[in-house]
Amino acid sequence: MSGKHNHKAFEGHMHDFEAHIRAVEEDLEYYRAKRFEPRIIYLIRRGVVTFSDLLKARVALKRSNQFFKLKRPQGKNIEARVRYLEEWLDEYVKGIALVSARAVEAMDMVTEDNRKERGDYDDFFKIKKKEHHGTLEERMVNVEQDLKDYQELLEVFVQALIGRGWSTREQLQQRWQQLHEERPWAGGVIVAKAWTDPAFKQALLSTGREALREMGVHQGKVGKLVVVENTDKIHNVIVCTLCSCYPYDILGDTPWWYKHESYRTKIVQNPRACIREMFGLEVSAGQEIRVYDSTSDVRYFVLPQRPGGTQGMSEKELAKLVTVDSLIGAGYALDPRQQEKAEKLGAKSEAPRVRPD
Amino acid sequence: MESATSKYRIGDAVLVAAENPTGNPRTPRYIRGKRGVISAVHGLLENVRDHRAIHKPLYTVRFDLSEVSSCDDQDSVWVDVHEEWLSSLPPEERNY
Repeated sequence: MSGKHNHKAFEGHMHDFEAHIRAVEEDLEYYRAKRFEPRIIYLIRRGVVTFSDLLKARVALKRSNQFFKLKRPQGKNIEARVRYLEEWLDEYVKGIALVSARAVEAMDMVTEDNRKERGDYDDFFKIKKKEHHGTLEERMVNVEQDLKDYQELLEVFVQALIGRGWSTREQLQQRWQQLHEERPWAGGVIVAKAWTDPAFKQALLSTGREALREMGVHQGKVGKLVVVENTDKIHNVIVCTLCSCYPYDILGDTPWWYKHESYRTKIVQNPRACIREMFGLEVSAGQEIRVYDSTSDVRYFVLPQRPGGTQGMSEKELAKLVTVDSLIGAGYALDPRQQEKAEKLGAKSEAPRVRPD
Repeated sequence: MESATSKYRIGDAVLVAAENPTGNPRTPRYIRGKRGVISAVHGLLENVRDHRAIHKPLYTVRFDLSEVSSCDDQDSVWVDVHEEWLSSLPPEERNY
């Protein structure tokens, strides 16, 4: 299993269904209410698409002209259903990326527009997130239905954009393929290089994005990149208390808890207790915790410490030890024995989702 | 660009305004009215994917954890704040 929706990387077995479903619920509502629906509302206000366009596109929708085609679940047991929900959610998030401002010029929308539209500065505009209650089975049925509904709106929106001539089916198909290309996770590649190449590490810490230029990883364009180094004296942690800023355009998506209010509130009130309780990380008394709150035009990530017992390992092997959590400061890079054991159990290394805009 | 356009220098003690001075809302509430020290000078930053206007020069301001919360661990919170939110703090009012 991919481990994408769990805050612990490299889980060999999907033993905690409740945690997986919680992660899907949280992420699904986040992407719907914070990323996708504000975008539709923004375009409706400006007449780029209208409610009528959406209704007409729904009526015209047939199996044969559907843009998104989902595979069937691989079985009826709970594990197969959870897996299916996770894959479906990934497709939904990629679908949102497909209709981003970069793909569809008519949108002319920047992140700040999205923040206003979704009520970051004014409760009046907040889109209510759905809450889920009941047994695990009831929650799963609810999430299945929600995903179906939300996916349908996404489908209809894509059809309406094509219908209005804002994009063509071919353009979107090409981009859809790109979004599914597998490539090594930039986070692992960058950190492994910094661990093995002191000149690169120095450049990364002092120039940020500039240092990535010759590495063949996607540099991203959002804000100034600052990389902060964990040492024996300093443990850095990243947060965005205002929304969920993060160098998505380089590193992909964050785990769901990064966007959750409980993390965003607690980490600046009592960081030591927060990372102990949420991630089981006991930062030593001799280490200062520095919480970086990315409130404006700087995007941060942590350069974790290189684990012991890794002398002589290649960059490729080292990259496997780097987790999404360790780049936020919510975890350490993996011990090689821990990683090896997880791999034997069938865990794949963590590769986060693409950024949806 | 940074030195030509930015008013504060690394090490300067600053006070964050308690009320929003301009309408740029991206200064979190928990640091408003709090004392910190300039720890990085970013200057004028273009961020066209994020917003259209160029904001005032940006700084990373370091706050003692105990200044911004009721926790007195010896930890710190580093927040990016634009210049119009900041004023100089005379040495006698510094908290370190």
